[in-house]
Amino acid sequence: MLPYILRRFVNLIPVFIGATLLTFLIIQAAPGDFLDAKRLDPRTTPATIARIERQFGLDKPVFVQYGLWLKNFVTGNLGISFESNVPVWDLIGPKVFNSMILVFGSTFLLYFIAIPIGIYGAVRQYSLGDKTISLVSYFFLGFPSFFFALILIFGIIQLNWALNTKVFPVGGMTSEYYDTLSPIGKVLNVLWHTLAPMIALLLRSIASESRGFRAQMLEFLNQDFVRTARAKGLSERVVIYKHALRNAITPFVANIGGLLPAIFSGAGFVEVVFNWPGLTPVFLEALFSQDIYVNVSIGAITLVLLVIGNLMADFLLGAVDPRIRYY
Amino acid sequence: MALASGISRNFDTAKSKSQLQVVWEQFRKHQLAVFGGLVLALLYVGAIFAPFISPYSLSEYSTTDITKFQQPTRVYVIDPETGQFNLPFVYKSTRFTNPDTFEEGYKEDRSTKYPVKLFHNRPESPFQLFGFIPMTVHLFGVDAPGNIFILGTDGFGRDTFTRIWYGAQISLTIGIFSVALSTILGLFLGGLAGFFGGWIDNIIMRFVEILSAIPDLFLLLSLSALIPRNIDPVVSFYGIIFVLGIIGWGGLARVIRSQISALREVDFVQAATALGASEMRIIGKHMLPVTFSLLIVNLSLSIPGAILTESGLSFLGYGIREPYSSWGLMISVAQEGGFASIQYRPWVLIPGFFIVLAVLCWNFLGDGLRDAVDPRKRQ
Repeated sequence: MLPYILRRFVNLIPVFIGATLLTFLIIQAAPGDFLDAKRLDPRTTPATIARIERQFGLDKPVFVQYGLWLKNFVTGNLGISFESNVPVWDLIGPKVFNSMILVFGSTFLLYFIAIPIGIYGAVRQYSLGDKTISLVSYFFLGFPSFFFALILIFGIIQLNWALNTKVFPVGGMTSEYYDTLSPIGKVLNVLWHTLAPMIALLLRSIASESRGFRAQMLEFLNQDFVRTARAKGLSERVVIYKHALRNAITPFVANIGGLLPAIFSGAGFVEVVFNWPGLTPVFLEALFSQDIYVNVSIGAITLVLLVIGNLMADFLLGAVDPRIRYY
Repeated sequence: MALASGISRNFDTAKSKSQLQVVWEQFRKHQLAVFGGLVLALLYVGAIFAPFISPYSLSEYSTTDITKFQQPTRVYVIDPETGQFNLPFVYKSTRFTNPDTFEEGYKEDRSTKYPVKLFHNRPESPFQLFGFIPMTVHLFGVDAPGNIFILGTDGFGRDTFTRIWYGAQISLTIGIFSVALSTILGLFLGGLAGFFGGWIDNIIMRFVEILSAIPDLFLLLSLSALIPRNIDPVVSFYGIIFVLGIIGWGGLARVIRSQISALREVDFVQAATALGASEMRIIGKHMLPVTFSLLIVNLSLSIPGAILTESGLSFLGYGIREPYSSWGLMISVAQEGGFASIQYRPWVLIPGFFIVLAVLCWNFLGDGLRDAVDPRKRQ
């Protein structure tokens, strides 16, 4: 096992360097830089600009900058955000936590709901229920997540207006009176705010995952070993849950590797539309003001997590699939 | 006996059908796919005739007669005053401010009727059909000073219906162009890697690995940020196609590579090599045709994804730019003025349903094609 892990790590080093270098180059290649806005500001003297350039190494060639960044990254220093003048981690750390609330919750619910739906669709193939579910999933797959989120907000506003109370909040993570709440009240308040973004995140992913799972199940339900299991008189329950399901689930276990970086990289558009103080809005702001170390660090951490996640998925696969052995 | 005759009939017809005929017959049995294809055909025809279908020009709005966020114009068939049947007509809406709440709204001025005219001539909004036929006649319209905004207006007072059709020109083609680009890249690079193997294979596949290691949204936004903000919007249109194209080729390259490297060992390719065919001939004549059905399916299943991505980019302000129109860009207006504003102007969400429709139909079409070319799924 250990040699396998080591080999994987050694193989991943060039990918990591390649990917971070590429991100670094792309972000650096964007027209202009962070100091452009400062240069136009008459209050900033050329001497100040030169000082900032020296301080952040912006006057050096791109590859030297990359080398400096890589050295700092390996030693755990993510650099400084130009915009807010604090270490990058202090800026993004709390946001990562906020994003995690959404992503953890929705991923858990996703598998909890999508797998049973997929099993149902495969076992009762072409039944009315299966056809309805697949038509509805098709429909939800057509919705861009930001559009679905906007429709949800519209629905919530109508609902709140019709009932003349605040049934659901329309955005943000906490209410205005958050600070006055008890610790349990605070947790409940945040959970209450997660409901709508969670639905927006879930519907699309349930639609795609349950379809994928249905296809996987069908693939195995039509195979010889399942027919053999039925022929030797096993109950349908055992055939489905022990023979087909255990096989069908392996690709999903492999997908768990992608979860770790997904938790980190945030819920994307849904965060933007629902005004959720997560990582995506920070990333967009930094991209806009060319606060490069924020962007590059977010990208690099996601990459590291992807690597770790894939390794974890390998172990889990080895655990659920006795055919897989690592040497 | 019925069974036997059935078999022989199948045998007779199977002999005379080409591959394409079989696929077409299978495809026609897939009702949703046929439906998807027809709706898409309508949408694309609508996009081609956009300037004619829409009553106004792309970014036309009056600076004297303010029509900002005007609700959809009601078209009357029954005269509300007399209760009698009438040819379709509209009233002009005028802007007023509520003296108590200071909220702005629109009120219909019932004094004059403006009949809706088919093939209405409107010299103020000339256009060139197909880019070269100068015209001023629109499918429908009303005489000035009346307005007809059947799906309302946006924050500038521009007609939503008009901008949806002009937006269709961009939203519907950007998917095709970018997927075409990524298909060419994937085919070429995957083919190279699979055919030659060795260090070429190594370099190309490592690069695919690096590209797929960077999170999608991250890569997409960083690449789109490369397009200067103050550049000509036409250039940014091509820029977006390019960005979407170079992001999407990795998966296809992997599939093509594995197919080509498997094909190298197949008898007919070995035979061609033994007969002294050139490498180019073997790739072009013997290998690529085998991947054809895979390509078509990949193409039609990637286009909806590209349409969704473009709408997202434009929504965030990194895609198509004003004054051009795209469905994603149009929805970004919904965020103007905070959450509560959607309640007062829900029609700004309408372009989103066009995205849903287009993506849905492409998915139907793609699934139908995939089932039609897959011999295991034949009925």
